[in-house]
Amino acid sequence: MNPRAERRVWVLGTTGPALVFLVVVAYLPIAYAVALSFFKKTAFNPAMKWTGLDNYRFILEEPELWNAFGRSVVFTVGSVGLQLALGLVAALLLNRAFRGLNLVRSLFVLPYLLPSVVVALVFQWLLSPEYGVINQVLIQTGLVARPINFFGGLGTAMWAVIGMAGWQYGSFATLLILARLQAINPKLYEAAAVSGAGPLRAFWDVTLPALRTTLLVIALLRGIWMFNKFDSIWLVTHGGPLKHTETLPLYAYRLAFEEFDFGLAAAACSVMFVVLLGGAVIYFKLFDPTREIEVGR
Amino acid sequence: MRRFQAGATLALLFVVLGVVAFPFYWMVLSSVTPREALFQPPYKFIRLDFSLGNYRELLFATEFARYFINSLIAAVGAIVLNVVAATLAGYGLTRFAFAGKKPFAFGTLFSYMFPPMLMAIPLYILFSALKMRNTYTGLILAHMAISLPLNIWLMWQYFQIVPQSLEEAAWVSGASRLRALRQVCLPSARPGILSVAIFSFALSWNDFTFAFILQTDRRMFTLPVGLASFVEQTGVHWGMVMAAAVLVSVPTFLLVFFLQRYLLTGLRATG
Repeated sequence: MNPRAERRVWVLGTTGPALVFLVVVAYLPIAYAVALSFFKKTAFNPAMKWTGLDNYRFILEEPELWNAFGRSVVFTVGSVGLQLALGLVAALLLNRAFRGLNLVRSLFVLPYLLPSVVVALVFQWLLSPEYGVINQVLIQTGLVARPINFFGGLGTAMWAVIGMAGWQYGSFATLLILARLQAINPKLYEAAAVSGAGPLRAFWDVTLPALRTTLLVIALLRGIWMFNKFDSIWLVTHGGPLKHTETLPLYAYRLAFEEFDFGLAAAACSVMFVVLLGGAVIYFKLFDPTREIEVGR
Repeated sequence: MRRFQAGATLALLFVVLGVVAFPFYWMVLSSVTPREALFQPPYKFIRLDFSLGNYRELLFATEFARYFINSLIAAVGAIVLNVVAATLAGYGLTRFAFAGKKPFAFGTLFSYMFPPMLMAIPLYILFSALKMRNTYTGLILAHMAISLPLNIWLMWQYFQIVPQSLEEAAWVSGASRLRALRQVCLPSARPGILSVAIFSFALSWNDFTFAFILQTDRRMFTLPVGLASFVEQTGVHWGMVMAAAVLVSVPTFLLVFFLQRYLLTGLRATG
């Protein structure tokens, strides 16, 4: 075999499997979903029938899609905001040398790496109206008179879900922010102190500018993931009560597996995909993560 | 004033630690609390009448063992395929010059953002047609969709720091490329490969969405789906559910405490 042919075999042999897998398991299903959104296809009548934009017309005219969209926005903004706030407070508190810092850091990785189902079950148990320890404490301290049905109440379900997501992913924000804080040059604080800045001023002039990129990356990436989060929400509320926590992915799920209309579900998925695409474009434009690898070689 | 500030900071620190740690504490404590005690609130926050009854019931009176085996098979399959595909790709992408790397990088990172639901609905339809629902192969392929992008990325970055001079030295002494790859390059890439294995495991083990949608046959449930089914019934046996939650979290605990240094390399961004 001549060297050029051999090189070609190597390139194909090494990158081929990954490329094939990526295309087959990630891109093909999405392409199929987008294609499917132009057809009528239900679980009872599997034959595909071209209907053009009918599916889109149907879901875009329904208030349900827009309601779900709005809830996705509320859940995303709420949970990402909470993650950033918790992450920032916790990281500032932890940003000092003390014994046991490594242990604390391990503790903070845990919620993020736990299976969603574990977090969901633990929170259902903690917040249960009948047996929940949180309600017990609230009643014993006299803060509330009757137990609160956190995940089942119309006014509380969304907040409870946001709180749970904040707990699980806030710890992740903490770690990233902490890492960035520890990389700030202490000289900057000395300089700020010399020029007469108090702690608040120093935070504003030194800490926040240093954290800007980190906070933005967390907000963007977590925002993209939270917008499309299915498991955490589904596990604790199934989208209820009365659809009050039915975000876009839960809406798509309902169309596919409770109303058995795959065409409509595919159209809802395509809407999700468009939002994702928008987020991804912003992320790539702002940060271009591909800089981390050398492609010119 | 200074003193007050330091005291307030410390108090706040303890509050934050409490918020993070309490759910874990309550999960573990409930799992070893006898069933009768859990149906009689108010609860004590510290109790010593431990019992392993919940664990016994979980292991011998439910399908927990079957779910565990299903989860394990899916995770091992995902690890093997991910390690092979990502390692080869990382090697090829850093050792050869060819066109299309930039689009490949974008394609990889973009697919990393795909939410499971977006892929699960079309995969359900495709796998139904191919008779691949409720099979291990189908689930493993689905799990590849969430872990492979990150893993390709990890290995791509990792192979950049594995020095090429080592391989070149091996070629000079007469080794073929394949042999240099096997005996020189792969051993130096071992930490990267280990991270890939860990992430593949974690993402597969934690997955709910794919398993929930694709594995509708009870005998093919993985642990997350099986656990979720425990609370679908009325009169939930919370002690046993917490025992199950503890056991499912064990790999997570082990990973964090033994492999923190590998984790940090890829922590940047998992779903």
